Amino acid sequence: MLNNFFSPKSIAVIGASRTPGKVGYDILKNIIQYGYEEAVYPINPEASEILGLKAYPSILNVPNEIGLAVVAVPPQRVSEVIGQCRERGISAAVIITAGFRESGSEGTKLENELVKKAKESGVRFIGPNCLGMIDTHSRVNVSFAAGMPNKGNIGFFSQSGALGIAVLDLALAEDIGFSKFISMGNKADISDEEIMQALAEDDNTKVILGYIEGVSDGRKFLEVASQVSKKKPLIILKSGITRSGAKAASSHTGALAGREAAFDAAFKQSGVIRAHSVGELFNYALAFANQPLPQGPNVAIITNSGGPGILAADASDRSDLQLVPLHKQTVGELRTFLPPVASFYNPIDILGDAGAERYEKALYAVLQDKKVHGVIVLLTPTAVIDVEAAAKAVANIANLIDKPILTSFMGRKSIEPGSKILMKYNVPNYSYPEEAVSSLNAMYHYHLWINEHDKTYPDFGGLKEKVLDIFNKVKEENRERLSESEVYEILKTYGFSQPKSLLARTSDEAVAAAKGIGYPVVMKIISPQIIHKSDIGGVRINLNSKKEVTDAFFDITTRVRHIMPTAHISGVMIQEMIRGGKEVIMGITRDAQFGHMIMFGLGGVYVEVLKDISFRIIPISQEDAHEMVRETKTFPLLRGVRGETEADIEAIEKSLLILSQLALDFPQIIEADINPLLVKKRGEGVVAVDARFAIGGD
Amino acid sequence: MISLYVGSTSGYSGKSLVSMGLGHKFKKDGFRVGYFKPVGILPIKVNDVLTDNDAWRIYRALELKDPISEICPVVLTQELAVKGYLKDVKGLLAKIVKSYNQLSKDKDIILVGGYGSIYSGGVLGISGLKVIKRLNAKVVIVVKYEGEFCVDYILQAKKDLGDHFIGVILNKVTHEYKQGVEDYIVPFLKRKDVDILGILPHDSIVGSITIEELNDMLGGKVLCCHDRLNNLVEHFLIGAMQVDRATEYFKRTKNNAVIVGGDRADIQLSAIESGTECLVLTGELYPSEIIIARAELKDIPILVVRDDTYSVAKKLERLSVRLRLRDKAKVARSTDLVAENVNFPLFYEKLGIKPQPR
Repeated sequence: MLNNFFSPKSIAVIGASRTPGKVGYDILKNIIQYGYEEAVYPINPEASEILGLKAYPSILNVPNEIGLAVVAVPPQRVSEVIGQCRERGISAAVIITAGFRESGSEGTKLENELVKKAKESGVRFIGPNCLGMIDTHSRVNVSFAAGMPNKGNIGFFSQSGALGIAVLDLALAEDIGFSKFISMGNKADISDEEIMQALAEDDNTKVILGYIEGVSDGRKFLEVASQVSKKKPLIILKSGITRSGAKAASSHTGALAGREAAFDAAFKQSGVIRAHSVGELFNYALAFANQPLPQGPNVAIITNSGGPGILAADASDRSDLQLVPLHKQTVGELRTFLPPVASFYNPIDILGDAGAERYEKALYAVLQDKKVHGVIVLLTPTAVIDVEAAAKAVANIANLIDKPILTSFMGRKSIEPGSKILMKYNVPNYSYPEEAVSSLNAMYHYHLWINEHDKTYPDFGGLKEKVLDIFNKVKEENRERLSESEVYEILKTYGFSQPKSLLARTSDEAVAAAKGIGYPVVMKIISPQIIHKSDIGGVRINLNSKKEVTDAFFDITTRVRHIMPTAHISGVMIQEMIRGGKEVIMGITRDAQFGHMIMFGLGGVYVEVLKDISFRIIPISQEDAHEMVRETKTFPLLRGVRGETEADIEAIEKSLLILSQLALDFPQIIEADINPLLVKKRGEGVVAVDARFAIGGD
Repeated sequence: MISLYVGSTSGYSGKSLVSMGLGHKFKKDGFRVGYFKPVGILPIKVNDVLTDNDAWRIYRALELKDPISEICPVVLTQELAVKGYLKDVKGLLAKIVKSYNQLSKDKDIILVGGYGSIYSGGVLGISGLKVIKRLNAKVVIVVKYEGEFCVDYILQAKKDLGDHFIGVILNKVTHEYKQGVEDYIVPFLKRKDVDILGILPHDSIVGSITIEELNDMLGGKVLCCHDRLNNLVEHFLIGAMQVDRATEYFKRTKNNAVIVGGDRADIQLSAIESGTECLVLTGELYPSEIIIARAELKDIPILVVRDDTYSVAKKLERLSVRLRLRDKAKVARSTDLVAENVNFPLFYEKLGIKPQPR
């Protein structure tokens, strides 16, 4: 895929310049100086020769075949050049030129023209407004980056060219190699998804890195990322996440969602390893590019000092890694050569007087332990240690055994030679122990992802027809919100159990209804104009007698008539009062890019404060539902604390799956909340006590 | 015994204010005064007796002693409204007459408070006109002055009421309308044989609302300064501008409440610093602790409401037409307003009575 870009038969630089410092000059220079071996054609109508190469007035004048066009002419001329590419049968272009969509309405018009022209001409292009691209293996550097990265196995695509160069420069200093670098620019033609696919198929690329600011088609991203991440680690840094759009939402789910939640869910569901900073992006890349994946969560820490060991242990504790006790045999082995005052448990403290030999023996012994899936080696530069020797020792062992070894030789000045040795032998070295831990943790997660069984999507089909009429009716009446009775019908059809309810128009009817349902009861105002009933005192609970019901009827209706004189009161709902159980919330919201998302949280009235919630993009699998419930911090409350019985967690999971199905069946749902969903004891199910639905769009 | 019906041609014109003010003056002039509200629309239970909230307040303000159960015999609850829609409710007029007879026994003047306009009451088959005729009451019409078109309604009311009609009180005449009323409306009405019994100017205190009422109306949550909820708000301002303009804007108006998005900490701070009476934060967005601490220091209550700023403003605009006389300061102010601006000599002449100093 995209071979014309990465291994072109020849390159033409349209807009090549004789003036150093101009983009058209620097690109040409980069192509020449970094060893591209095929023909290069500078195109400039006013020059006969640039940088020792014969220049042509136009690509139409080049006598030989051209593989890749690199375009650096003014924006107004780009479409014309693309037209010429068609005449010459060139199918790949990198458009460096800026002044398109990013620069305003005039530029947007030009970009639209460009896209149209390229489509007609059958020319695919990267950019515009990009920095170019680099392939270290085919020695193609059609960029104006300063320098050429080392050959390596990290493929990197970046929406920001500037950030891309900064990372490449950093990598040069650290001797880190790249396979490819692509500056994506405005992504007017070739998209992130296509590049991800190309890098997934590229034999020289082992790890894919990406920096993105947004995606244009969330579903497509999800689909491609899921496929790519099963083949190779896909590490992405996503910036520009704010909570905009949440304010206008009237449901809890809507208010709690937001761009952050959508991307977080999308990344989780597609196996993308998410970096939260440039530092993390780099750290993860190093680990994945150089070390094998751990086959489980168990980590051992070897250190020559207490402090860093504890820091690493704390960081492991916050991650999903486990600091396991070593096998008896391993401890016995360690005892044979470590001083008696050393710590033989995990973290293994080989003491401040440790030299390279102790590191080598300890690491070897620990790696023999079957329980250990990965090792983090820490070193602080004491006076007795020969850092280079220790680095060599660690590197030697690391290359013998197929388990991940990450190091943190802490410090800088006295560490640097050791660090270089480690890097040379593909052992990533981190400045701080926490970085090593979080990198290993990311690898462990990726191990889980690629070994995950196929997901199961239970089918709750066949329910759709029954509620389609309701949604159609709401749409016909130009309403957004569904009434209480409509919501009741929908949930009933989809199998949610709900409290017994009866609508009363007068207090006599209310008393009769309460008697029929059985005391105690809950009473709620029913009015199409009132969404949040309790805000205006429209809800009373735990009413135990005829008098209480009569009084409540008077109070509720009077209050509402007073506060909202124009609201139509349909009556008061008399509802069975469900007692016991735990309150959770679940809901659906619609994200502009990823479509329907589903939320779960422990809550009741405090849900918006606690924000202890989890999100997934719909549809969700049984496994997703399982994870969603367990992801919340308050999950132990459902398990039962201090001798409580366990709540019906299975019923929650099933409810999530049904709700997911409902959203799948009805794309028109824009918001839905079941809040609270009361979870009873294990085996007794859940009850949807209150719910709201809103539809919109097509 | 004289029965004086305080009616109007439209709802929320200031009947309660006028009733309260007239009652005070009549008492002061030595009359034995009673208050009666045939039909109430603001249900409230006092010691488990169903009555009307406005009637109950006037009853207390005039320090009356009659049985509460009789001051408002018919209260339009949701229950009664539903019954009235579904079938004719019978016997209500008889109930009204019975209570009226009991109340009027030892009185010189009974103030009869109308509800809505003199034409309202159809659902229950007891319109103001019907009650007026049955009680043989004299009628003063209170008009909230909102432009010239009100004269047509006044003339129609005069025609419909015939001999019962004694004159009008123009209420809430703003500074802008004052000149026009004096130059054109008064001479015109006089020419049409309509007596003008008083012209009450617009008053910002009477038009104010307590923070507690405000919070009730908006269904909000009070975050701090619970002891300041009786403070009165006279004006509402929207905080949607750049912060450098805000302070100046807020300071220009006194006794204001500032409506602002819950996430606009900058505007909230400048409202607090400029000494607003109350902050209304919209969008169910809670402010930071710093804001709350500052507000507490300056005794400014913060309300958090679910609606967005526009919806709140819309609600408040509707609210201003149906303010109620709840607060002591407001009651005192309205009593003064009536005493100072009603032509009592003419009033007594029309009623055919004379003050009886005790």
